[in-house]
Amino acid sequence: MSERVDVLIAGSGFGGAIAAYRLSELYRAADQDPKAVLVLERGPRMQHTDFAQSMHVEHLSKVYELVQGQGAQFVTATGVGGGSNLYLAASLRAPRETFERRDRKPGDGPDRRIWPAAISRQTLDPYYARVEAALRVQRPTWSQVSRSGGLFAATLDAQGHTCDRVPLAISAKRCVDAKWCHTGCIHGAKNTVNTNYLASAEAAGVRVRPLRRVESVRQSSARPYRYIVTVSVMDPVSKQATGSEEIECKALILATGAMNDAPILLRSRNDLPALSEQVGRHLGGNGDHVAAIEYDPKRVRDVLGLPGYGAFHKGKPITTMTYDFWVGRRSNRYDGTRFTLQEIFLSSLTNFLYDDGRAPSGEPSFWGRQKKDAIANWSNRIELLAMVEDTMDGTFLSASPTGGGAVPLGSGPVSFGTFSYAQSDQSIKVREAADRAMARIASHRGLGRFMKLTETRGIYAAHPLGGLRMAESPELGAASPEGRIHGYEGLFAFGSSIIPTSLGVNPSLTIAAVAERCAEQLIASAGDLGLPTAPAGFRHGVPREIIGERVETPGRPRPPRRRRRRRRRRTGRRSRTA
Amino acid sequence: MYIERVRSEEATRREFLARALATGLAATVAGALPTARALVAPEAARAQDPGFDAATLQAFYDTIIPGRKVTTTSLGAPVHPKAILGVDDRPGAVEADALALGNHPLIGFAYLAPAFLADLELRAAAAGGSDFLSLDWDGREAACRSGFAFDNPLRLTWEAAGAVPFVAFCAAGMIPEQTAEKAVGYRVMGLPGRVSAGYADASYRRRLSRERTKTGNLP
Repeated sequence: MSERVDVLIAGSGFGGAIAAYRLSELYRAADQDPKAVLVLERGPRMQHTDFAQSMHVEHLSKVYELVQGQGAQFVTATGVGGGSNLYLAASLRAPRETFERRDRKPGDGPDRRIWPAAISRQTLDPYYARVEAALRVQRPTWSQVSRSGGLFAATLDAQGHTCDRVPLAISAKRCVDAKWCHTGCIHGAKNTVNTNYLASAEAAGVRVRPLRRVESVRQSSARPYRYIVTVSVMDPVSKQATGSEEIECKALILATGAMNDAPILLRSRNDLPALSEQVGRHLGGNGDHVAAIEYDPKRVRDVLGLPGYGAFHKGKPITTMTYDFWVGRRSNRYDGTRFTLQEIFLSSLTNFLYDDGRAPSGEPSFWGRQKKDAIANWSNRIELLAMVEDTMDGTFLSASPTGGGAVPLGSGPVSFGTFSYAQSDQSIKVREAADRAMARIASHRGLGRFMKLTETRGIYAAHPLGGLRMAESPELGAASPEGRIHGYEGLFAFGSSIIPTSLGVNPSLTIAAVAERCAEQLIASAGDLGLPTAPAGFRHGVPREIIGERVETPGRPRPPRRRRRRRRRRTGRRSRTA
Repeated sequence: MYIERVRSEEATRREFLARALATGLAATVAGALPTARALVAPEAARAQDPGFDAATLQAFYDTIIPGRKVTTTSLGAPVHPKAILGVDDRPGAVEADALALGNHPLIGFAYLAPAFLADLELRAAAAGGSDFLSLDWDGREAACRSGFAFDNPLRLTWEAAGAVPFVAFCAAGMIPEQTAEKAVGYRVMGLPGRVSAGYADASYRRRLSRERTKTGNLP
């Protein structure tokens, strides 16, 4: 007989962790044990001290998955905490225009607002606020802006553009500006869901089971149980299944990310025949389009009045961005021409993607002798992420026999995706427009060289979205605006897979806000699914911050609490005197 | 060598083809293999030198991120005398142990290497009339330019091959210490590597632009 739980949550990233925490609140308020909620995660559990400032192949294999499909490369995360372990913590609300978008690729239904009518910036704002409180989002001061972010800001300012500081889910107290967020923060400075939502859910009694990969779903006839989920037990080293389990649940929440949610349902289609034909379509990369600028240090001094640069490796990985190519672009029209530009440090490896920026131009562009010169001047570079209005052009061709939407190439970080990605004319043109804007910014008064993405003609993205997009009807989307999979009671998707468009900003805060909204709707109707009913006066709270063991900064021991208080008092007296 | 073992194990090749099938590569890969087998020069060289494939891969990695001539890599592995042409006087991808990374089971490139090598030799023969290892810089560059062309049906395999030297050099993929002292790539890039103490001078510490919003978010 299979194990039985009330709610099974597949995936422990933003969507899964938020569902787990909000359900734990419900169960506690209803005086029931939250252990009836079970979270599965395909990857291992890692503490801050298990991460490493390292791109060594063994560490990459532990934390990353690089999925190479036809026309696109997606970078995703594995491990308890999901994408939050590796995200760069930029925590932005999507602009109003995002939710009003009507642009779409040819053949994608009638003229309409792509987002469901119930979701707008205004209706999502309370959920954004909820997530910002949980993730402890703060806007950095200018003294916390990295040199690379500051250089981008100064470059834009010299050309009459604006540039804003980006709100971050990073603790200013714990962050040491080492710029190693991309392989997991060893200092516990990055506010992953492991330090708030998920940790608080577990503290309340929710169970989290790592190394369990959801394979497929079928219906159960034993009401109130609705679904039987087949799960592989994973070996952490070989990443191969070593066993299989079945878990029966009243409600199933898919939150395994855009690269995995749709393939799980595609694999289950024989047992879930009423699924929308939209399952597996509209896979996107949040309009990610990367490029770089290599600065001339002398021009940085002469033109911008800054004392040189050479500091690409220092500071927080994202601190500044400009909205100047988003705002004022015919906001009453939806022609897919907007983009934002953000200074970003993806990793030292993305070096691979760019043209060398040197004459003569042309091939070889991202390899060879000129490229070597560009690599040798790497520290004078900044990386830019354009987030463009594209049309989410990917489609899963089929589900791989097991696992997510990819066939692993060995037990390392590389997989072949079972999807194709053919960019629409709009997606190509808006990326070309972003390239032109970045090239103009780079070459202003000889400040630097523009380095265009030339390694691929497809997309390179760290923000996979879609595959089960939300829409009011199953003809237009796989999930309802509340994250219910059309056609199946008690089957939900809460994460990145239901986001219907690229956002113009880094997606984590919007994924989380939408998950908060979905969780609220689920809790409001929990009784209908055989789950506890929320008592009168039930209110959502803010998850506690639980940091856990972390690497303390060598050479910077924290003074004992009493001394710190004395120091604050002393500082206060001095400032009053001044 | 790992790659030679893969080449000789038919079961592994079947596994490779099954994996390639998943991405639609199988037809092109299968098409390239018999053509490449027909190339006499590399086959003869391979018969005489059991390390021929490894040397050819080192030569390819030296074309992607060229470097100074060395006889051993950072980790002490031998470098084939013809692999590095020495067109750059700084350390390069071969010195950064790209070959060991490509052979690493976690990377999985060994599954693709036979098809890649076949296509590389095909293009070397067209570009310079000999095996890739024997070509001069211009010949190697021409072969690679043709391999990385977007109309090459094996472009995806070339992208995978091209990624290997970058992971080795720019990410120090084989260097456990991850410091500029140990990782030649980091040294060339000016990247100190791991730095748990962080940087006190990470910011210019001044306002550097006008801002459009009060919170960082657009309305």
